[in-house]
Amino acid sequence: MAESSTLKPTNYEGATPSPMGNGSAAAAGVANANRLSSSELLLRMLAVVATLVAIIVAGISKQEKTVPMVVIPNLPALNVDVVAKWQYSSAFVFFFVSNIIALVYGIVSLIVTLGNRGKSNGWGLAILLMDLVMAALLFSSNGAAAAIGLLGYKGNSHVRWNKVCNVFGKFCAHVAGSVVVSLMGSLAFLLLVALATISLYRIKSR
Amino acid sequence: MASAEESKATIEEPKLKGTSDEEAVVASQKWYSSSSLVSSAIDVATIELSLRVLLFASTLTALVLMVTSKETETVLVPVLNIPVRRSAKFSHSPALIYFVAATVVACFYSLVTIVGTLYRILKPYPTTPLLLLYYIIWEVIILGILTAATGSAGGVAYIGLRGNSHVGWTKVCSTYSKFCKHAGSAIIISLFADVLLVFLISLSAHSLYRRIR
Repeated sequence: MAESSTLKPTNYEGATPSPMGNGSAAAAGVANANRLSSSELLLRMLAVVATLVAIIVAGISKQEKTVPMVVIPNLPALNVDVVAKWQYSSAFVFFFVSNIIALVYGIVSLIVTLGNRGKSNGWGLAILLMDLVMAALLFSSNGAAAAIGLLGYKGNSHVRWNKVCNVFGKFCAHVAGSVVVSLMGSLAFLLLVALATISLYRIKSR
Repeated sequence: MASAEESKATIEEPKLKGTSDEEAVVASQKWYSSSSLVSSAIDVATIELSLRVLLFASTLTALVLMVTSKETETVLVPVLNIPVRRSAKFSHSPALIYFVAATVVACFYSLVTIVGTLYRILKPYPTTPLLLLYYIIWEVIILGILTAATGSAGGVAYIGLRGNSHVGWTKVCSTYSKFCKHAGSAIIISLFADVLLVFLISLSAHSLYRRIR
């Protein structure tokens, strides 16, 4: 950190002719670098928290319900216990697993970023690329979970897939909340890529 | 044409590099000494162009496959057992509609950037960091849109292929085999396009990163 604060101001004022005095320009450069770095940390924490919350909300979404089912028309309806849980749908399994992967990666990258704060080494590029892959993974799993959730919510009359959310209200609410929170996490990863790119660009245009 | 371009770039690139860097002496000496860097500069543009052409081709193929997937089959109405003609097409599912829309967006984007890259190869000018920044940010957005489309279409298509016994969703691919083949191929090709986009972003990020070293 100390290394960067001694390096950056001189580079900053070297190329950019500023109407301000040299000292204030240097201070602005340092402030800029600090702000970018702290917003990166904030976004990374947001990504970790969002994926963690998504995992927890999806994990406790199991719902058991007793529904009356008519087996023989003239007899009274039988009470049948039905269960909805995320393990029943492969799309939700994908969603769950990719959120766990993103959570683990988020924690690891948080540690690596904190360890390499202010240094310019190869880690920056590696983390940018991994963020990219995580954003792609999370986006695809969000898409899959949202598509299946929409099927459960609306059903599809063309292929006679009935809606299930009128029976499993709590399960559907959990899945919907989980997808929204996970979407926030994937947007955080996406913004992290944009932020890292912008800081790469800023370093160049000094 | 390619060799002519390459030799031109071999002459041009060191100058460009020298003017853009403040430490001209050290940088240009480093630059001249390693000829692999010079050839890699033109190679990057060629690789980028071929990746973009591949991206365009794959998104267009996925789009055409999904749009032409309509299939009409005779199916039995469950209770009455009357045969009726029912068709399956992508517009019956919101996930597949989203897939088509996202593929159109990605296809259009790749077409625009192909023109930009071609212009850059035919009329060599230095790739400004600002251009790379715009490329990366747009490509990340396109990547998000396209991967979400792949995921959603894949999720629905998997239910169509296997069904889900827990909620009583029957498989439909046994009836509409052509529709499912088209949709499945489109999804696999769009997955390929996602990977291409990741490579494109890595390429741009790497050339942005290489400039600061």
